[in-house]
Amino acid sequence: MARQQPIELFMPPNMLKAKAGGGLGGLDMAAMKRAEQAMETLKGEFGDMIADDVKSLAAARARYAKSPDAASRAGLMRAAHDIKGNAPTFNYPLIARVAGSLSRLIGETPENQAVPAGLIDAHVNAVQVIHRQNIQAIDDKLAQALCAELDARVEDILGKKPK
Amino acid sequence: MSGYRFDRLKILVVDDNVHMRKLVVTILQAFGVVQIYEADSGQRAWTVIRESNPDIVVLDWVMEGMSGVELAKMLRTNPQSPNPFMPVILLTGYTSLDRVLEARDAGVNEFIAKPVSVKTMMSRLVSVIESPRPFVRTQGYFGPCRRRRGAEEYRGPERRAETKKQEAAE
Repeated sequence: MARQQPIELFMPPNMLKAKAGGGLGGLDMAAMKRAEQAMETLKGEFGDMIADDVKSLAAARARYAKSPDAASRAGLMRAAHDIKGNAPTFNYPLIARVAGSLSRLIGETPENQAVPAGLIDAHVNAVQVIHRQNIQAIDDKLAQALCAELDARVEDILGKKPK
Repeated sequence: MSGYRFDRLKILVVDDNVHMRKLVVTILQAFGVVQIYEADSGQRAWTVIRESNPDIVVLDWVMEGMSGVELAKMLRTNPQSPNPFMPVILLTGYTSLDRVLEARDAGVNEFIAKPVSVKTMMSRLVSVIESPRPFVRTQGYFGPCRRRRGAEEYRGPERRAETKKQEAAE
């Protein structure tokens, strides 16, 4: 019979509460208002930020095309993942969708198989086009059609249903 | 208004993307956090953690070299960790269940799914301040209790599948 490992369960002292206080325990509405205002101010930089992320993605794609090894593949994955996470904040939801599709393609292609270069290029080009055309609306018909086409091609390659 | 003294907290923000770091730092500063450390990799974060012993770590998952999940595991289990109970809030673009379970099993306290919002950041900070979970030490895990509730009442042997597998292998 397998021996049973006892579990040790304990509550560490709440040092954070001792430091930060906050008797009522709810959200600090005044602090949230200040943060919303700070984000509004930061919005002026969002254009430069998304442009940087798009450039980083293109550079990562170029590195992978030049030498398709594990390191360059991981770099491309990180660039796609970053832009997927950042683009909604920068008001480019469809860029996030394309980057999410690219992340899925890279992440779910077995590591011993090359990620199809043509499909990587199609994704990176789509990100660049949406950015260049400044398409920020999530219901843009043309961009949506492009996203749907990319989704379908990734689906074909991976041979799975979308998660 | 709940009147937290965020100015008394030291928070480390770890992300290899400079823009995401700036967003998070901007939000924390507006909350009133004064002592904010930044790191652009897991390795640098580990140095900052040992040198400055922050109160909370906000970290990204996908980074070159040491990932956020690897860093969380190190924080919990490495003998050089200054505080194995340090709350960890993970920023992630991964929302699938297997990924969430992987992060939870590394000892992450809270998650923020990207895109980051002011409300979510506040909510997670309040959660680690007001509702810390008990800690669990087992043969294969050390970190916040992985059950959201009811753990305080459980007094029996381990029931997790991975522990049973380890025992069977021994």
